[in-house]
Amino acid sequence: MENAGLLIVGHGSTVNADSSAPTWAHMRQIRRSGAFAEVQCAFWKEEPSLRDALLFFRGGTVRDVYVVPNFISEGYFTQTVIPREIELTGAVTERPGGQIWKYCEPVGSNERVTDLLLKRAREVAPGINPAETTLVIVAHGTELNDNSAVAAKREVQKIRERGLFAAVLNAYMEEPPLIADWAQLTSTPHVVVVPFFISDGLHSYEDIPVLLGMSQHVADGVFRQNPHQLHGRSLYYARAIGTEPEFANLIVEQALAFDAAHKLQSVA
Amino acid sequence: MTSEFEQTLEQFGWLIGEVAVLRSAAFELRHRDDQSRGGEELERFTADAADQIARFDDARNYRPLKTAPNLRHGWRIVCTSAADAEAAVEQLYPGRLAALRAWQRDELSTTALRQTLNRQTGMYRIASRVTDAALNELVGRFCRSDGGCLRTILWKRDGSGAAPSTLLPEAKFNPAYDQTNHGERAVPLLCQEACNLLVAAARAVAKGE
Ligand code: SF4
Repeated sequence: MENAGLLIVGHGSTVNADSSAPTWAHMRQIRRSGAFAEVQCAFWKEEPSLRDALLFFRGGTVRDVYVVPNFISEGYFTQTVIPREIELTGAVTERPGGQIWKYCEPVGSNERVTDLLLKRAREVAPGINPAETTLVIVAHGTELNDNSAVAAKREVQKIRERGLFAAVLNAYMEEPPLIADWAQLTSTPHVVVVPFFISDGLHSYEDIPVLLGMSQHVADGVFRQNPHQLHGRSLYYARAIGTEPEFANLIVEQALAFDAAHKLQSVA
Repeated sequence: MTSEFEQTLEQFGWLIGEVAVLRSAAFELRHRDDQSRGGEELERFTADAADQIARFDDARNYRPLKTAPNLRHGWRIVCTSAADAEAAVEQLYPGRLAALRAWQRDELSTTALRQTLNRQTGMYRIASRVTDAALNELVGRFCRSDGGCLRTILWKRDGSGAAPSTLLPEAKFNPAYDQTNHGERAVPLLCQEACNLLVAAARAVAKGE
């Protein structure tokens, strides 16, 4: 990958200071690894903008640029906004100077996301018996043109098949099964809740803690006070999955997977 | 050999936006206002943590626009090399060095505001309905260096080549002008295309908000 560039694309936010932080952190981590000649990030709602990304990778050494959306799933942003703003014509786009831009699958599609969800669950609730535990993966739900709910269901199914926990459930903020109903949805003494989001923000700091029934829902205090004793159960609440440092490796894998997938296609 | 970053500073001045690059044994970045303060008075950061400085203003409010003239004070970034200092500048003013380099090579294409607005889809599509008069007022207010944004605007209003706003001074379009209004030699922060914040503001105007 010494002649390759990596562009990590995030959503960013005009109101939430934590939205882009994981993407920046993943970028720095991948830069340090030296795996690519140049590593950059760009955002829809922050700087550098997606349009600014057109100015990166001009140093002369970069032949191929891998574009990896730091998104949980395909959706409006990966299918419409990103290609439009960075002028991609398909999976492979050739720029006037001959540079090739390769549009990879979003990081949430990486199959190791399942392992990271399990790692998160183990870390937030160390030493508890999984046979007495329900794992709840919480997603937003009802987002326009967004398949994150589908992706969350897929992850729950995969974790369920491993048979580790007494139960594994999906829950959503805005559609049933509602995360607010967690006490009715679960029957085990321990409940572990992992937000299936790319970054922490109002949803994970405030909205979900309130829906879970926590009273002290300010800032990241919620993550330090595990377990929360609520409805006679021990509730463990994790940070958004995308803040996991391992996500940086998943981003790199998405770039590698692009070449593997497209080689197979050209042979077939 | 001097790096491209140092060459840029030599050429334009050791200031960029509200940041001063100090050259002693290594490089040190500070707020321009903090240049003469004692190092021990300032909170010390590494280049890797520069995005934390960029994220909040002095009142700890989130800064959605990194080129807004509200960079916080009271810090210094001690850098180990020119590359380290460059990485810090890239986090304080993301994408601006890349834009400058493209501009220096005469490769920076600019996009007229109307073109940016007309390209929008989804919730931003309505932004294209803003009238020229309303855009003139909006850009004049939103992009002004004094309280809005420190970038030098290179784009036009539309295909006619009209200025983005008659309310902005000529200097707003001149890369040689120090947008902080201190009259010093500084690296310009170029704006080759309207940012998403301006598009969002145009949407609000179109919706009558
Ligand atoms: S459009 Fe350009 S000049 Fe105006 S606020 Fe956005 S970045 Fe600044």
